[in-house]
Amino acid sequence: MLSQKNVKRFIYLLGIVAVVLGIYGFYSRLFFGERDVNYGSYVNWGLWVAMYLFFAGMAAGSYMVATLDYVFNLSAFKGTGKYGLWAAMVTLPGALIFIGFDLGHMERVWKVYLQPNFSSLLAQLVWSYTLFLIVTVTSLYFAMRNNLALLKPIMVVGLVLAIFVSGGVGALLGVNASRATLHTAMLPAQFPILNLTSGVALMLLIVNLFNVISDEEQRNRLTRILRYILVVLIIVKAYFLWVDYSQALYSGVPDAVDAVNLVLFGTYGWAFWILQVGLGMVLPVIVLLQPNLSNKKMLVGLMGLLVLLGLAVARTAIIFPAMAIPELEGLAEAFTGPHLGYDYVPSLMEWSVTLGIVGLSTLAFLIGTDFIGFFKDSSEVAK
Amino acid sequence: MSDTNDVYDVNRRNFLKGLMGGAGAAAAIAAYEALAENPAALLAQETTTAAQSEDGLGPLSSAGDGGPVDVLERMRVELRRALQKPTGERRWVMVIDLRKCVGCHACTIACVAENKLPPGVVYRPVIEEEWGTYPNVGRRFVPRPCMQCDNPPCTPVCPVNATFKNEDGIVEVDYEQCIGCRACLTACPYGARTSDFGLTYTESTPVAAGLIAGRETADNYERVANFEYGRQYPREGHHSPMGNARKCHFCMHRIRVGELPACVTTCIGRATLFGDANDPDSLVSEMIAKPNVMRLKEELGTEPRVYYLT
Repeated sequence: MLSQKNVKRFIYLLGIVAVVLGIYGFYSRLFFGERDVNYGSYVNWGLWVAMYLFFAGMAAGSYMVATLDYVFNLSAFKGTGKYGLWAAMVTLPGALIFIGFDLGHMERVWKVYLQPNFSSLLAQLVWSYTLFLIVTVTSLYFAMRNNLALLKPIMVVGLVLAIFVSGGVGALLGVNASRATLHTAMLPAQFPILNLTSGVALMLLIVNLFNVISDEEQRNRLTRILRYILVVLIIVKAYFLWVDYSQALYSGVPDAVDAVNLVLFGTYGWAFWILQVGLGMVLPVIVLLQPNLSNKKMLVGLMGLLVLLGLAVARTAIIFPAMAIPELEGLAEAFTGPHLGYDYVPSLMEWSVTLGIVGLSTLAFLIGTDFIGFFKDSSEVAK
Repeated sequence: MSDTNDVYDVNRRNFLKGLMGGAGAAAAIAAYEALAENPAALLAQETTTAAQSEDGLGPLSSAGDGGPVDVLERMRVELRRALQKPTGERRWVMVIDLRKCVGCHACTIACVAENKLPPGVVYRPVIEEEWGTYPNVGRRFVPRPCMQCDNPPCTPVCPVNATFKNEDGIVEVDYEQCIGCRACLTACPYGARTSDFGLTYTESTPVAAGLIAGRETADNYERVANFEYGRQYPREGHHSPMGNARKCHFCMHRIRVGELPACVTTCIGRATLFGDANDPDSLVSEMIAKPNVMRLKEELGTEPRVYYLT
């Protein structure tokens, strides 16, 4: 049985390996642009956009969980707020790197600030995420200074922003009337729930793998609460999934049906059934409902990780199939060339960048919690 | 010795070519700006040209020789007539007669050549459709340019106003403003936008000997500026339009100097027509009043300016 210290060392090692593997992708993207990506003009948003949704979701969700300690003062969550804030702090820049790399001209991103079109949801989100990042940094600053008088109001603002950016991302996709699977009011409603699920799963992982709560009794109590919340959220997520897909299938609209069939039985079918549903939902629900898990921190932490994996795959299941249905039948064959296909499998370079950012965020979290004095004593804020 | 002279010759020739090319480009831009500012001069120029049958262009319909008139000639006259009107009073539309389209893809290639489109960028693919079962089988070809919608879903999603309907009613992309987020690609219901990933046809090709057909010449051709939107965009470094969303613009740079879009002039079946729908005497006005006219995905309410005759 691995000790928690060894688990942490192992995760450090994984993080370093991921960063090393990411060097190729970063080099390729920064020096040669988007030449080696596999997304293109038809599947125009790929793995990086899906990972942006996932990382931004973890950031917003972690922030929501942090408010349970700092805003709502729930005793079971005492001492977890700072880890929620730190998790948001390390995942949000990851999300922004993903979406930055996805831009054809990332050096022009300043135009969104100085020459914005506010009727565009994308512009609204860029501004909102920037504000959210500032609020997260400010929250962390006040938490470190133990200035609860200022921390609480700023975190109320942050909570509203976290919900807004979560729904906003759903809306960003949902307004595309030309994409039958995206054009649903479900997405803005789903995303805050999905993001909260991410935040809870991440907190379950942090609490059980990284030993951040030294009081065993509190840790067990907190784990139990997180487990049950997570199970409820997974069930809600399953309901959303059912509503989403059944609406599409029963509507009989060919584009919507084709996209759902692609998710269930197409190229991405294995990822949906095995990763998203099997490992990301069914297995965690079965395990987390077991009564005697207090001595199985590793197993519980692993379930948190699996739920996160399922949520990451869920984001790809929202993006890829929606893009993979031709707007006009025959368009794919009308003119062929690089980046002009509807079959999308992320390139090595896209995976490399993804691994690099996952590694960077993981290492940033571990280094912060191990070397910043504020995170060493988990009972500091509780007192 | 001879090798040295050859090198010298080549360098001098390249230098002179470059000089002439640069001067030519500058002259073309100057002419473009002068003509765009004074559309009346275009019509006067056209009338003069028409009267001189020996100039090789042949008379236009206005010359009145009584013979059949090529629709291209008619559309050119109508185009130049439309250019005399204030910008807001003309309504450019394209009409594509699907019964006449033979699927030769000349329009696609002409568009690629006119706009120097790199690999993976296409403005006007021709979609092939087949239906029925033998022996009752049908086949048709559907060219798909940008629809230049009057209610374009692609413009409001742009976070920096880089794409918009310009004063000509054409949906334009400001390459220097575009950040390359591809939100407009997602929003377009017709798949009419492609992204320029910075590729060229000649990279990784073997270097052939000779000056005419060698890689160097071909490479120069690819990198020399195009004239989209009346500006010059050479393919250098990672400068626009690389990294940008790109789309058909009805060859706006040609229209403004009284020339029909490249796809119209190269259509061997005269299946693609172009003109001002606000001119009741124009060919396109006649065509879009026919009962067999349709537009793609009309139910979306995007009000496309591309009409199809079926």
